[in-house]
Parts: sequence; structure tokens; C-alpha cells
Amino acid sequence: MVCRLHPWRGGRALLAPLVAALCGCSAFVSKASWPLADNLLAAILDQPDPETVRQGAPAYLLLVDGLIHGAPESEALLRAGAQLYAAYASAFVTEPERARLLAATARTYGLRALCRASRRACGIEQLPFDEFAAALARLRRADVPALHAAAAAWAGWIQANSSDFRAVADTARVRAMMERVVVLDEGWDGGSAHLYLGVLDTLLPPALGGRPEEGKAHFQRAIALSGGRNLMVKVLYARHYARLVFDREEHDRLCREVLAASPAAPGLTLINTLAQQQARQLLATADEYFGE
Amino acid sequence: MDGARIAAVGVLVALAALSAGAEVFKVATLAPEGSVWMEGVRRGAAEVARRTAGRVSFRFFPGGTMGNDQSVLRKIRIGQLQGGALTAGGLAAVWADAQIYSMPLLFRSYAEVDAVRAQLDERLLAGLAERGFVSFGLVEGGFAYLLSTKPVRSFADLAGRKPWVPEGDVVGQAIFAAAGVSPVALPLADVLTGLQTGLIDTVASTPVGAVALQWFTKTKYLTDYPLIYVYGTMVLERTAFERLPAEDRAVVREVFAGVMRELDRRTRADNDAAKQALLEQGLEAVTVAPEAAKQWEVVAAQATATLSARGAYSAALYEEVQRALAAFRASGVAAPP
Repeated sequence: MVCRLHPWRGGRALLAPLVAALCGCSAFVSKASWPLADNLLAAILDQPDPETVRQGAPAYLLLVDGLIHGAPESEALLRAGAQLYAAYASAFVTEPERARLLAATARTYGLRALCRASRRACGIEQLPFDEFAAALARLRRADVPALHAAAAAWAGWIQANSSDFRAVADTARVRAMMERVVVLDEGWDGGSAHLYLGVLDTLLPPALGGRPEEGKAHFQRAIALSGGRNLMVKVLYARHYARLVFDREEHDRLCREVLAASPAAPGLTLINTLAQQQARQLLATADEYFGE
Repeated sequence: MDGARIAAVGVLVALAALSAGAEVFKVATLAPEGSVWMEGVRRGAAEVARRTAGRVSFRFFPGGTMGNDQSVLRKIRIGQLQGGALTAGGLAAVWADAQIYSMPLLFRSYAEVDAVRAQLDERLLAGLAERGFVSFGLVEGGFAYLLSTKPVRSFADLAGRKPWVPEGDVVGQAIFAAAGVSPVALPLADVLTGLQTGLIDTVASTPVGAVALQWFTKTKYLTDYPLIYVYGTMVLERTAFERLPAEDRAVVREVFAGVMRELDRRTRADNDAAKQALLEQGLEAVTVAPEAAKQWEVVAAQATATLSARGAYSAALYEEVQRALAAFRASGVAAPP
């Protein structure tokens, strides 16, 4: 009856992977009433030079803050704020303290956006887990953009706080939210909810209850739904699934496919460029990892 | 530098290492890649490699790829592995007394744990070494608590429940047998599904385990009463370790003692945070009233007697533990669990 676990801790192990999952994001470039915010986001996502984004993004964060200040009830702006803050914090900020601060802003914006989308979801984060899950079941398809943005920002926040078990416990909530997105509109944002679920299913080895084959199915579904254009899917597929099951062949094939592809794709150029950097790192460390 | 030159350098380094009598320790564990455990031992391995100029290296097999504790021990015996990070329960197969700190309701608080461990950890390490396994320090897993779908305040509350025990867990079996309840044995991997389907409704786990494996999502109550102290350690097979030159042995010892100490300390803080997380996630803390606690102690004493009769630990060492505990309790240093 006793969980005779090694004293290993999920900690960084659990969420570090989400680092890369700053999603395709093209979906949140809404057609709504904030052309400036939308155009900015589109420009950032299409930027082929990550360094430019790293250096320039803070100014945009302040700009989005300003826009939200002027229209605090705009779901579209809050979503944009959540996505921008989350993406910047997870992909470009290396100082842990700053990453935590920025990821917290992303999470707050995301939950505010969700609350604007559906009053049922206001304060949902305060509920005990079972009531939280029940509240998700009442959300509708129209709530998916905000639900997805909130879940992604929350995942980024967990990642930034991954040495704190109080944050790690929220992983179950992110999973429940992404599962709800898949039920309501699995193709949203190029199927990126499947990408998150793929990572979540492959965080733990099978001996501890991980589900690599289910994870693999999620990765493959995300590839299908994004038409193969989001290269980060394959990077996460290689890093999580292929490394977990020690499938060197699959690992290297996925990485080589990422490197052979053109990173340019509307709404995905930045993420694809980052994906290629990571694919190179995965290949470079493969001998050491697979012990060959 | 082009590929050919890199390869050439690699070959030279490998040859140099070989000529100096390189020793590779293959070490398996259930801890997943990227966990604090794996980060710690990889950091240790890198430092050892550096300080022994590559004469000593480690290759790790994380995530249970080499099987559970028993199959890791088997692979160590046949020389396929030279080490493993194992639980005290797993090490009991090597030496029953290795799990002496895990006797039911032995400790009431971490202060007691610290007082006893300060006196007896060395004895446990020496006992393992005598049986062919070198360890550089025990690492806390923490207190296991009951998590359940209905509140458990007393052993009477367990009637009709379906508690989980890990396969081969003699301590857990003994506790439930003493309480007159038949537990359900399942592998760790099936616990979450078991809770979901109702096959089991009560589990014991450290807070860290309950969070990391998400068991809290299928339970509602936490009985705030430390049942068992769980711990583990990394062991190396002694003959392989003793093949190292003395100065390399000293490096491995020093580095991994540091890693184990660090992991040991860190778990305490992580369990505190994880326990708080469980309550924040909506689990209700159930307290055990003093009368009920007496009843639990009676059941624990029965279970401990059963375990003693089965040779699950030696009476002499258990008495030493009890003496150390009694001395600590008499000293009047009280601390909450």
C-alpha cells in the first residue's frame, strides 16, 4: 500500500518539456477589433530571426499591457497578452525569477480571457480539482480559443515554477483543459492541444504510469492537424516519445525531417526556427543519451 | 573541427581511458530522465569523470527501462549492471534490515527520523557493504500517508475498503493483515487507473509521489498521520567498486556522498510543498484522534511482530532503533510530524 517510490521528484522533470510548446499561436491572431495587436503578433510569429524577437519582444509586452489597460474586458487582447507573455517567458527568458514573473502575468491574462469568454469559468482556478473538472465540462466550443490560451499560459507558468510542487500539482488541470479543447475543437491552433497531451503522456515512464503509445498517437494527430507545418511537434515527439522508449531510429528520423524542412510558414516561422535549433541539439546529444 | 578529427580525438580519448583501466558503472533506476534524482546523479557522474580523468564513468538507465528493483538486483548479480538506485523495500531482498526504518508507525515526526538516522545510517550502509553493495548515503523519500476516496480516521474505517499494496510489499501486506483487510496488489503503473475504475479506493504515498503521479486527482481525503517512512539509495556492486584504484574510490565516495546528502535534504522541502499542494487542490485533511491513534499503534505492533516472526528485520537492530527513539523522546525535544 505504500508508494515505495524513489525520492525522485517530478519537479523540473515534469514540465521542462513544455518549454518548447509555445504552440503554433497562429490561431490567436484573431480577426477581431485589435488590428494593431494582431498585426504585431503576426509579425512576431513570422519573424525568422529569434534574436530579434528576444531583443524586441519586451517593448511589445508593454504595448499589449497598455492596450489591455485601455480595454480590460477584451477577450481577444487578454488572449494575445497571455500568449505573448507565455511565449516570451518560456522561449527567451533564462533568469528563473523573471521567467516566473512573466509567466504569472501570462497565466493571469489567460484566466481573465477565459472568464471573459464564459462567466462559468470565472474563478475556476480557485475550485478544488473535481469541481474544476466539472466546470470544464460546461464550457462550449466558442470558449475554445480562451480555454486553450489559458491552458497554454498555465502550462508555461508550471514550467517556470517546476521546482515547486504546488505548481506541479496543477499539471492535472492543464491536462483536463487540453482534453476539453480536444473534445470541443481538436483542430484549434493546428491541433496544438494534442501536442500538449502528447508531452503530458510521455513525461513519466510506463513503470510510473506514463503512456508513451497514447502520447505517440497525440503527436501524430498534431502532425496531421497541422499539415506537418509545425516543426516543433516533431521535435517534442522526438524528445519525449522517442527518447522515453529509446527508439534512436525514430528520434533521428524526426530530427532530420525537421532540419530538412523549410521553417517559413505563416504564423509558424519563429517557432519552426526555434524547432530547428532544438533538433540540432537533440541530434548532438543523441550518442550520449542513447549510450552509443 | 571536422567530423573525422572529432572522431579521431574521440578514439584517442577512449584509448587513453582504456589504457588507464577505465571502469564503467551501468546504473539503473526507476527515476525518470530529467528528475531531480537523475539530474543529481548525472552531475555527480560528470564530476567523477572529470576528477578521475575519465577513468571512472557512469552510464544510467532511467525510467525503469531495466525493470523494477528486483530485476535490477538480478541484473547486478549477473554482471549486466553494476549498480542501481533502489528503494529500501527493494534492498530488503539483499538484506532484510535495510528497510528497518520503514516499520509501520515507527516514527511520529521528522525530528525523530533525524535523531535516529544520525545514529544508525552508518550501520545500514555498513550492513549493505557487507552484503556486496556500496552506498554513499540514504536518501529520504518521506512519510507516506493514506489517500482515500472516503475518510479514514481509524482502522475500523478501513473495513470494506479496497486498499492498494505494491506487488511484493511485505510491510503493507502485514499492516492490512493485522487490520483484517485484504489489500489489492497492483504494479505502480496501474494505480491511477485502479483508483479511476474503483478497483482500489485507498492508497498510501508520500506527498511528492501523490502529486507527481497525480493520484490526488482520484482521491478526496488525506489521513494526516505518518504511516511509514520511505527512503532509498544508490548502490554500486562492491567488487566492481573495489576494482577502482584507492584514489578513484575516494573521489566516487566523496562526490556521491555529496549528491545523496543534497537529494536527502531536498526531499524534505519538496514533501512539505507537495503536502500543501494536495490540500490546495481540494483534498481534505483527516486527523486521527488520540484514541484512534492508540488503536493504530496496536495494529502496527501486531504487524511489526508478524514481520519480525517472518524475519523481515532483525530484533537486535530494531531494538537499537527503539533505544535511540526512546532516548530522543525522553530528551523532550518535541516537533510536529
